[in-house]
Amino acid sequence: MTEPVALIVDDSSVNRMLLARHLLSLGISSREAADGRSALEALSAGADEVAVVLLDVEMPEMDGYETLAAIKSDDALRHLPVIMVSGVDELNSVAQCIEMGAADFLTKPFNPVILGARVRAALADKRLRDLEAEHAARQAELLETIERQKTELSRFLSPQIAALVSSPEGEQMLAGHRREATAVFCDLRGFTAFSDSAEPEEVLGLLREYHAMMGTQIIEHGGTLEHFAGDGMMVFFNDPVPQPDHAERAVRMAVAMREHFTDLAAKWAKLGFDLGFGVGIATGYATLGRIGFEGRYDYGMVGAAVIIASRLSSAAAAGQILLSPRTHASVESVIEGEEIGALQLKGFARPIPTVNVRGLVPHSESVPA
Amino acid sequence: MTDETPVLDQSVLDELRDSVGGDQSFIADLAATYLAEGPDHLAAMQAAVSAGDAAAIVRPAHTLKSSSASLGAMRLSHIAREIEFAGRNGETSGLAERVSTAREAWAQTVAAMKESGLA
Repeated sequence: MTEPVALIVDDSSVNRMLLARHLLSLGISSREAADGRSALEALSAGADEVAVVLLDVEMPEMDGYETLAAIKSDDALRHLPVIMVSGVDELNSVAQCIEMGAADFLTKPFNPVILGARVRAALADKRLRDLEAEHAARQAELLETIERQKTELSRFLSPQIAALVSSPEGEQMLAGHRREATAVFCDLRGFTAFSDSAEPEEVLGLLREYHAMMGTQIIEHGGTLEHFAGDGMMVFFNDPVPQPDHAERAVRMAVAMREHFTDLAAKWAKLGFDLGFGVGIATGYATLGRIGFEGRYDYGMVGAAVIIASRLSSAAAAGQILLSPRTHASVESVIEGEEIGALQLKGFARPIPTVNVRGLVPHSESVPA
Repeated sequence: MTDETPVLDQSVLDELRDSVGGDQSFIADLAATYLAEGPDHLAAMQAAVSAGDAAAIVRPAHTLKSSSASLGAMRLSHIAREIEFAGRNGETSGLAERVSTAREAWAQTVAAMKESGLA
């Protein structure tokens, strides 16, 4: 840190000499100005260097008031402590200067002990202000970085996960927790054959359209996208944002996707591509949180419901939305279901009774929150 | 009152010496600065009187008042103070007499400082 420099403003060279001498014995070097105008010039030329101003109240031409007012109205100089210097018969003027923002005052003749105490206090105050300003600047920079990262994150992650990562309770949520959730798997029938025969540009173009449509539905229904791989996607509900109607949201999303998919499929059919859409949905207790390894983490859901949803999706024929018994129980009143019997799913000992969603019960349309 | 005010107030000088830890050479420098500048202030005051410009007398009178007080030259400081206020109030009458009183007080101050070993 550089040594503090004081600016002494006094029309009397004798007084300037005397003040400079007292300051020097405090380890403070000084610069001098004979009137307010040259003081302001000196400050604008080297404001960074000056740490405190000792300002005579009564000066011919530009007096202490005017000089003080000019310092206090200048953004670059406002925080500079100003100690007014006056004769004992000028104490009324000093009070006014303090109201105008002067840090303190000194009376002539100077008492070196008091002078030392007041100058040191002003310097300490200045140092504190400087530190505060530095801290605030660093804080602002940090906030800006965080905002930028949040924006970047939200482009790569589900909006809910991006919000979670940057929220105070995020760490706890990310660490893992158990709750009931509904998992949705969906993918395209005939996609493998299609990608084998189509040009890569066609495959990517089609996927873009498909993802855009699916993305809109996921966001609209408040789903959390766990991942997508080619034509397959996994979305879950009720986490990280609690959704009491998670099963219903999942089913409504799937129905909306299927409807929109019909339009896309019709368009693709004209190009000679035959693609179908299948969905599996299951509800159950699961562990949710950060999954992966250092360097690459995802926010994921682990549990039997995830596997059931995945298997149901594989089992679904084009256009089918298959529900696990638990999901079906939650949404029975709002769907028109069709029992398709108990399916023997890989990895499960007992067959699982499954229902296909043919559609929603009319007038059961609810607006997703 | 002016005549009763000491030309050189030893108590002010003592305080001044104490405040700089008895540094004689600094006090001598301070006195030399004061003695070198005094005639300039007096000349500026005289010029303002000759020009009948009360406003122009304020600055040199103020500075002389202030510097004199710091070195204990209380009589001159008081006279300079009266001249400063007269100047501020735009009084030109009697200003010439006051300035000549100031010159006398200056001569007394210089003599007293020499006597005290300050000059």
